[in-house]
Amino acid sequence: MTSMCEATTRVLPGAAIIELAGEVDGSAAEVLTDAYKRAVSASAESGDLGTVVLDFAAVDYINSTGIALIVSVLARARAERRKVVASGLSAHYREIFDITRLSDFIELFPDLDRAVSQLGTA
Amino acid sequence: MTQVARPAPERLDAFTVPSQPGNERLALARVAGTLQGRGLSDARLERLKTAVAEATMNAIEHGNGNRAEIPVEVEVTRSGDDIIVAISDQGGQTHPGDDDHEQPDLLKKLDGDQSPRGWGLFLIRNMVDAMDITTDGQRHTIWLTMRTTGAAHDEHV
Repeated sequence: MTSMCEATTRVLPGAAIIELAGEVDGSAAEVLTDAYKRAVSASAESGDLGTVVLDFAAVDYINSTGIALIVSVLARARAERRKVVASGLSAHYREIFDITRLSDFIELFPDLDRAVSQLGTA
Repeated sequence: MTQVARPAPERLDAFTVPSQPGNERLALARVAGTLQGRGLSDARLERLKTAVAEATMNAIEHGNGNRAEIPVEVEVTRSGDDIIVAISDQGGQTHPGDDDHEQPDLLKKLDGDQSPRGWGLFLIRNMVDAMDITTDGQRHTIWLTMRTTGAAHDEHV
């Protein structure tokens, strides 16, 4: 199945940012995994363990397999002692992050600007 | 004894989708279109859309084994204040999608003690007002009920 998910990455001091767009479902596995690798390797080059910011502002669909992918990214980040935060989730997907308890482990910000400024990387 | 007559269920839509991964998006879009302006708030319609997508995914993958030639059947009815979406496949009594004996536990998943997957039925149960599963021979149906009234407490704020 062709992935309808796109990811762009960039690194700021203290944070690796993954901006997701489209659909986060089972077909997004490779996109999300590659984006995470790119983001953390770029931040490691700058000598920074930092925080991984997942921005969902341009995501219009997340399903249960997408939730599983996010869990896998979070598990990997925790093993590497990286913090994960999320921004740009709609009210509906914030509720799903609450129900699944992802929001216990991933701090949620209304938008990317506020996530970045709260992390002190602006 | 006085009996209160319940209104007969009104069929709002009925359609099928081929059992191919990704077709849950077709089902959720059509159900959302059918229910537009039928008394569900935006937040509750979003919840129902997620439940429809997850139930249809289960039907495609677990019920019909991703065999495109076996359709997933979707029926939308209204009975009084209830919107009911019935999603049927040919998975029979031993529907692997119902195998949720282990509740998803995020900490276990993060520690590698549980698969990262297994959120489907959990999400469905938490999205709708009622969920029922029936089987009739090979026909397996999941019934999703969403009330159009009296649920202000779970609106997004």
